[in-house]
Amino acid sequence: MTTLATPPDTAPLDDTPAVPDRAPRRKVGRWILFAVMLAIAAVMLYPFWVMIFTSLKSEQQFLSGGGFSWLSWRDLTSVIPIGQEILSSTIVCSASILVILVVGLPAGFAFSKLRFRASTAVFLIMVSAMMVPLQAILMPEFVNVTRLHLTGGYLGAILVYAALGTPFSVFLFTTYFRGVPDELIEAGIVDGLGYFGALWRLVVPIAIPAIATVTVLQFIQIWDDLLVGLLFIQNTNERPITVGLAVLAAGRTTSIPELMAGSLISAVPAMVVYLIFQRYLVKGLTMGIDR
Amino acid sequence: MAEIDFEGVTKVFGAGPPAVDGLTLHVNEGEFMVLVGPSGCGKTTALRMLAGLEEISSGTLRIGGVVVNNTLPKDRDVAMVFQNYALYPNMSVEKNIGFALKIRGDSKSEIKRKVDEAAAILHLEDYLERRPKALSGGQRQRVAMGRAIVRSPRAFLMDEPLSNLDAKLRVEMRLEIARIQRLLGVATVYVTHDQVEAMTMGDRVAVMRDGKLQQVDTPQDLYDRPANEFVAGFMGSPPMNLIRCRVRSGEDRVEVVFGDQVVELPWHYTSSHTLPPSGVDVVVGVRPEDVLVADASSTNTIKARVERREALGSEILVHLSHLDVTVGTEVATRDDARVSTLVAKMGPRSSVSVGDVLSVQISPEHAHFFDAVTGATLREN
Ligand SMILES: Nc1ncnc2c1ncn2[C@@H]1O[C@H](COP(=O)(O)OP(=O)(O)O)[C@@H](O)[C@H]1O
Ligand SMILES: [Mg+2]
Repeated sequence: MTTLATPPDTAPLDDTPAVPDRAPRRKVGRWILFAVMLAIAAVMLYPFWVMIFTSLKSEQQFLSGGGFSWLSWRDLTSVIPIGQEILSSTIVCSASILVILVVGLPAGFAFSKLRFRASTAVFLIMVSAMMVPLQAILMPEFVNVTRLHLTGGYLGAILVYAALGTPFSVFLFTTYFRGVPDELIEAGIVDGLGYFGALWRLVVPIAIPAIATVTVLQFIQIWDDLLVGLLFIQNTNERPITVGLAVLAAGRTTSIPELMAGSLISAVPAMVVYLIFQRYLVKGLTMGIDR
Repeated sequence: MAEIDFEGVTKVFGAGPPAVDGLTLHVNEGEFMVLVGPSGCGKTTALRMLAGLEEISSGTLRIGGVVVNNTLPKDRDVAMVFQNYALYPNMSVEKNIGFALKIRGDSKSEIKRKVDEAAAILHLEDYLERRPKALSGGQRQRVAMGRAIVRSPRAFLMDEPLSNLDAKLRVEMRLEIARIQRLLGVATVYVTHDQVEAMTMGDRVAVMRDGKLQQVDTPQDLYDRPANEFVAGFMGSPPMNLIRCRVRSGEDRVEVVFGDQVVELPWHYTSSHTLPPSGVDVVVGVRPEDVLVADASSTNTIKARVERREALGSEILVHLSHLDVTVGTEVATRDDARVSTLVAKMGPRSSVSVGDVLSVQISPEHAHFFDAVTGATLREN
């Protein structure tokens, strides 16, 4: 090697050409990456851009092409009960997620930490329910819920959403809790906790990423869902925003700018929830546990 | 504070052999009992049954005279230190130490007082606000200890608490744990696979193997009077030399023969031991420090060649080979593959070198004899 012959103090000089040689290439790579990201962002954001600009026109302006008006935003509340609908969506969403967490956390704890007969079989059956698509069980569910006389208000929809979301949450929590050392729970039990105490005071605090993951994914899914809300919530004053917008869109005299304004409002909560929890998301999905 | 009583305690996992087999062991109030044995011998299982983390298959377990077979862990009032410490990662050191008290419902000021007291004993005052993640191994170990002592439990259970520390820290914490235990006077069951820890820490030491208790005794008695070949080979480092020989006895003399060499035994062994009749094999055990280099005039010596020389500073270990020797019974040699060498411990200034042929002698008072089939000691009483 030439470096052996090179005096130590001149060695850096010999190396310098390599640096400017490589740096521009890395810089170019970064710019390409940046351009690609920018393109992706543009594709993703374009619909929002259209929605925003369309909503800022009156119906006349929309049809004729140009102009600016707050009209559709001002009239929105009189066209559909948007406040009520957002409230309904929030109630259905939070209640469903609550049920999913309340069932999923202890189930995941039991499957990962307790030894009981046929636990593997029960777990597999439970988790295989994740593979069943909503559409496949929609009719039987509808029959069930109708027989329980729950198709009027929130409760039926909450049950259906919870049933659909729970298998995934059980799966995620079970895998996550498997990474929690048994000794941690045993230490708690020797210190005087019961199983529920250990779950609540030791496991839940370190399962925040997993809980956040379940919450975000389920929130987005339930908030954006139309089908279940449409079928199971028949009282018009309890219908969620997605159903409200669908009804608006189906109307004969639909104002497109108003529809866009409503859609924008309905899209905001899911984005907010995502932004709040996103720093946990990657952590939760990779099931890493910080020890 | 309470005494602990294992009475025929057995644990069977599934279809396998018992992990703990008929363990009968009494731990006195305030006693430091060490449970020692090779990996997989059932030490942890025994401890977990005591903590209530593992069901007892059969037998009776008492704490303070009360049967606790079906008592929940939280009602046993014992504290456990885990091998990996099992600190609560989401709590500060202070919260970790005080957690059991909080669950118990002690008042805030009470908890604070006790945590501060424990922290002072363990020199943890400066770390109370830190999370476990931000502590060194030794500090974590101290927090785990703090979590146990703060409760003033009826018993301490410790499962290899020092095995994750480096050698220097281990020696330090060994003394520290022994000091704290004596300070608090709480009955302690301490599990380790390290015979040095067992010797240095225990008031008494229980040696286990394959789920079965081999011997319980004070460290010195365990060393001087091992009940069987296994204990003899397990306690002490380097381990006792175990040599299989044939007994040859006459009217007024008794000899052992190995290979083509014959050694006459001091006559007193015939009264202290039940030596087998002439022509039967026996296992002779000699501690390395009892293998002595004989001077030229001595009789009754063994010729051996120096194969290896390990200078340890304060002593030299000399590995000697002697001809035609089959080593110990299977009972003793299954765990550590011992070759047919005799290890002698010599002074740091002895001038032996590899290849030398030495005459060695067995210290006349300190030979051990074991049954060649069962491995049990042949010592009477
Ligand atoms: N939960 C368990 N299920 C099945 N076998 C186990 C279990 N725990 C321990 N064992 C078995 O019991 C024996 C004793 O184990 P253990 O008490 O951990 O030994 P030690 O602590 O002395 O190394 C081993 O053979 C081990 O494989
Ligand atoms: Mg163990």
